[in-house]
Amino acid sequence: MAGHWGIQFSFVALILFVKLVSAEHSFENTAIVRTVDLGGSLVHVTTTYAVKALEDDSSIYTIALGEDEAKKTSWMQAKVKGQTVPLQLEKFGLSPNTGAFLYAVEFPKALKANGTANLVVETVQTHATYPWPKTAAQNEGQSLKYEADLFILSPYPTLVQRTKIKSQFPKIHSYTTPEGVDAFTLESPVTKSGATLTYGPYNNIPAFTNKDFTKSQQKRIAVQYEYGNPILEITRLERAAEISHWGANLNIQDNVWLHNAGPELKGHFSRLEYQSQGYFRRVAPHTLSSLSLHLPAGIHDVYFYDLNGNVSTSHIRYAPSVPKGSSSNHFSLFEFRPRYPVMGGWNYSFTLGWDAPLADYAGWDKESGKYIVGIPLQTLYPGAVVDEAEVKIILPEGASDIKFYPPFPAIENTISNYITYLDTTGRPEITLQYQQLTDRHVGVIYVEYRVPFSAHLKKPLAVATALIALFALAFTWKRVDTRIQK
Amino acid sequence: MATNSKAYSLPSNVSPETVANTSSLLRIVSLALISGAAIASRLFAVVNFESIIHEFDPWFNYRATRVLASKGFYAFWNWFDPTAWYPLGRVVGGTVYPGLMATSGVIYNILHALHLPVDIRNICVLLAPGFSALTAWSTYMFTKEMKDESAGLLAAAFIGIVPGYISRSVAGSYDNEAIAIFLLMFTFYCWIKALKTGSALFGTLAALFYFYMVAAWGGYAFITNMIPLHALALILMGRYSSRLYVAYSSWYAIGTLASMQVPFVGFQPVRTSEHMGALGVFGLLQIIAFAELVRSHVSSKQFQSLLYASVIGAGILGTAGIVGLTYKGWIAPWTGRFYSLWDTGYAKKYIPIIASVSEHQPTAWPSFFMDLHFLIFLFPAGVAMCFKQLRDEHVFVIIYAVVASYFAGVMVRLMLTLTPCVCVAAAVAFSSLLDTYIDPAEPNVPKEEAEATEADPGAADAPTTPKKAKKASAPPPTLGDFVGKFVVDEKKPHGIFGLNTRLAVILNALAMLVFFVLHCTWVTANAYSSPSVVLASSNPDGSQHIIDDFREAYYWLRQNTPQDAVVMSWWDYGYQIAGMADRPTLVDNNTWNNTHIATVGKAMSSSEEVAYPILRKHDVDYVLIIFGGLLGYSGDDINKFLWMVRIAQGVWPNEIQEPNYFTPRGEYRVDDQAPPAMKNSLMYKMSYYRFAELFGGQPAQDRVRGQQISKTSPTLDYLDEAFTSENWIVRIYQVRKEDLLGRDLKLANAFEAGRKRKKQKPPVRRRAIA
Repeated sequence: MAGHWGIQFSFVALILFVKLVSAEHSFENTAIVRTVDLGGSLVHVTTTYAVKALEDDSSIYTIALGEDEAKKTSWMQAKVKGQTVPLQLEKFGLSPNTGAFLYAVEFPKALKANGTANLVVETVQTHATYPWPKTAAQNEGQSLKYEADLFILSPYPTLVQRTKIKSQFPKIHSYTTPEGVDAFTLESPVTKSGATLTYGPYNNIPAFTNKDFTKSQQKRIAVQYEYGNPILEITRLERAAEISHWGANLNIQDNVWLHNAGPELKGHFSRLEYQSQGYFRRVAPHTLSSLSLHLPAGIHDVYFYDLNGNVSTSHIRYAPSVPKGSSSNHFSLFEFRPRYPVMGGWNYSFTLGWDAPLADYAGWDKESGKYIVGIPLQTLYPGAVVDEAEVKIILPEGASDIKFYPPFPAIENTISNYITYLDTTGRPEITLQYQQLTDRHVGVIYVEYRVPFSAHLKKPLAVATALIALFALAFTWKRVDTRIQK
Repeated sequence: MATNSKAYSLPSNVSPETVANTSSLLRIVSLALISGAAIASRLFAVVNFESIIHEFDPWFNYRATRVLASKGFYAFWNWFDPTAWYPLGRVVGGTVYPGLMATSGVIYNILHALHLPVDIRNICVLLAPGFSALTAWSTYMFTKEMKDESAGLLAAAFIGIVPGYISRSVAGSYDNEAIAIFLLMFTFYCWIKALKTGSALFGTLAALFYFYMVAAWGGYAFITNMIPLHALALILMGRYSSRLYVAYSSWYAIGTLASMQVPFVGFQPVRTSEHMGALGVFGLLQIIAFAELVRSHVSSKQFQSLLYASVIGAGILGTAGIVGLTYKGWIAPWTGRFYSLWDTGYAKKYIPIIASVSEHQPTAWPSFFMDLHFLIFLFPAGVAMCFKQLRDEHVFVIIYAVVASYFAGVMVRLMLTLTPCVCVAAAVAFSSLLDTYIDPAEPNVPKEEAEATEADPGAADAPTTPKKAKKASAPPPTLGDFVGKFVVDEKKPHGIFGLNTRLAVILNALAMLVFFVLHCTWVTANAYSSPSVVLASSNPDGSQHIIDDFREAYYWLRQNTPQDAVVMSWWDYGYQIAGMADRPTLVDNNTWNNTHIATVGKAMSSSEEVAYPILRKHDVDYVLIIFGGLLGYSGDDINKFLWMVRIAQGVWPNEIQEPNYFTPRGEYRVDDQAPPAMKNSLMYKMSYYRFAELFGGQPAQDRVRGQQISKTSPTLDYLDEAFTSENWIVRIYQVRKEDLLGRDLKLANAFEAGRKRKKQKPPVRRRAIA
């Protein structure tokens, strides 16, 4: 998670770090299993640590990620196995003498000596794969390459660890067979069964304490595999949510810059080829010809256009509103085709927006007299990473006492003034900046604000005043004699 | 009293003030409704498609307006567009009529100042409908001066929905004509008003609107010549007055000075022949005014005749001066476009570019009915009625009718200038008809004639009766003799008896109006509301299917080619590529440089080997063509191809010859029998490249030409197919860079394909051993 942490954290971090140093030896990993789900733009990694405490009262456990891995990791969550509430995760950044990025979690209950716990750490890596070969002709397949470190780093000694790499698609073209790992295993260092590669088990991995281990023992492994879906990358996403109390409406509009990050098209695009592929239902995997999105239920008036105007190749199936807070997974299905099939390396930008009844998203808190509105952070594009996102929330004119609670800390957030139709003073506008959003970055930005009754009347009063002034002017003009001579 | 009976009774207890107030209110309401109808009927394009800019030229206007709106007026004024006419570029500020963009810019800024952040595109799209409402109003004002308010309302209603005007002002048709017709009518109204009242204020207003018109449309020359023509006609009719002098002088002096402020016009008003008429009439008026002044002070008859001679002498001298200056080259002679107005065959011979535009073709007869419906046969009646009173303003309408009728016959697009006049004249005729038949007064029966003339109080009740009586008893002197032959015995009363005769005529007239409305709606909906950027067809289930190939290809160019990639296409698509694809183009719809267009024409019509150096010299990266063969879209480049050939032939008569592109029998063919020049031309190859393969062994059919294309696809050595749109309407080819090894690309291709190099010379045959 590439979040910026507030200043208040650094103080806590300092205290924790002191604690950490003293707690360094208080655990032992009886087993670590890392499962890598290979994907396109996103790679999901689940690491399960079977932890044994060596001392009493051990509660703070340190997780380490290699430098490269940490850079690619855009989302991270730690849980005790079997529980649903994620644990608080503190980030310490690069530890200079070990060359690893450290994170600390605190167990809900401190472990006694020889007490065990299973810790599940899920991460999502972005831009971890790249097309290999880098170009593909229109009728060729699409292969990706994924690189990772062989050993899972941990500041604690590990009895046994293994890494499983799974591909969604059956073909794994090639993979690295690590050499010089006899110190840790006697069997074959890697086995392949179907679309799953298993590295390990490797036994008795020492705790890394300095860079030596990473330098001498750590290995890079690479997997080249086939991937059957186009690789989507949203280079920029601008979401604007405008709340209107007069219209009881929430308008959400996304400006999307889509990029096909698959292998670049070798040669040129041939429509003939594409049409015959479509005819025989053998469209190349790196061709993005259509997409379907799950838009919220209860929306209406969906619009889809780009810089050249409306795009007529879209289709929507509306779902009725669901009551607030219900966990039903109703959605409106939006299917669209870009103007042209987006081949590898091509771009396509568009605007997608819709209206929704405000009541589905907003509530009024009687006690505080404030409105609370929940704005979804993003609409998921299947398998896509969002490199840069800017979410704007435009509150009604005259809103005050504004507080907002994003589900993930933003890189930067500002409140500015935004003037639109018939505004006199303008509306407060909250802007949140994000980077590297993944499919796990789903959540709702809660905004709480107060709108006095007088603010509601501002607009009709302004319009009425303008019209009355106009009529008065016409009235006097008609009745005043403007001639110089009679 | 039975003789003065009414066909129906009118309420008599209404005070005149109430009548005046009610009619004023009704007028306002009708005008509002007419404006509403005018705007609404132009929105078919938005409702059926979307809020989009239509056609070709509007795309440039829209692009320029966006620059104006985003960067301000001065930036627009100094805008040099390096992407147009690559590599020449275009000084946009000095080569456009900025009125349209300035209008949208002003509206945009006003709305934004009022916190109405309307998108500039929507302002551009809706500008024409908005101004059509103003046109309706100005036509009302103009016709009111001709006859009365009721004729004015009819004229407003006519111009509001008449297809001849709608054709150029539907929503999205963001072109100069959108505001020009309003300015035309309003300038004419101000002129008539100035002439009637002799007011310098209205003369100045006319000049200001004339200036606005000059800034907005090249057709301002129509006003520049109509007003002097009117003034000249009045002088020749002996109707010179100080009112004419004040009106004309104030209009000409201020209008000309103002019009010279537009950079694109500059010194033209004093240097070109088109403007000399106005100057000549101005001079003539001064001479006459001087003569009048002298005459009012001198009584000697000899002196007067001397004066008369000197006036004529001065006039001749002035004309000779102008002719002399033209001959010397100080005044530019008529431009080619102007000549093509007199000789319809002129353009085809000397300026094929002008002739290649479909809207410059002579008008077909059916289009008069299509565009004007029943107004076209009311029009002569209305003009004839103008002869009845023949006031100064009627002379104007008569001249306007004659001139505009001629022009409308010469060029399709000039139908637009005829339309307002037709509406005015038809409204005068129609309203006279209604006046006559709605008037309840019945004529006197001969027996009781004496009694009737004695007691004629009924006449006062009906306001139109005196007028009618005048019409019947005293025919106008000009037509007196002519009419007298047909008018039956004066003593025998004539008029309309009874309610049924009235109803018969009025109901017929109303039916005509209803059919007019139906016709206008039908024509507007079916003929004039297609954006032409988007094509519509229908699915088997009747729902609308949008064919969006143009935008697909343009958007592809915009998103997936380098920002500075130069696109070559035929000039028709230049503005669209600049507007939608945002890429530099070689030529565009501003056809100022014939040679550059001919270069493109040459590249398209010659073989690859000849075209390639041209393409490389102009840094062309992509070549875009329109091909309708798959879908049956007839406006494609193969159908325009002969114009490319002709234009190229005009510059390189030795290299490109039109007859080579026809079969020996004079047919235009694209199938197996196509002549070699055709088959080898770049355009042909690009159009049909791999087209036959699409049919998978079946004979490939070109649905536009209705011909079978040969099964072997043309080969391209110097270009690569880069993109083809969904229905193959737009095909884009990338120009290859020179071979890295310095080989000719054709040889390089042959080498890669594994073909053996053809031997250049036949092998020397071994000499037979003797």
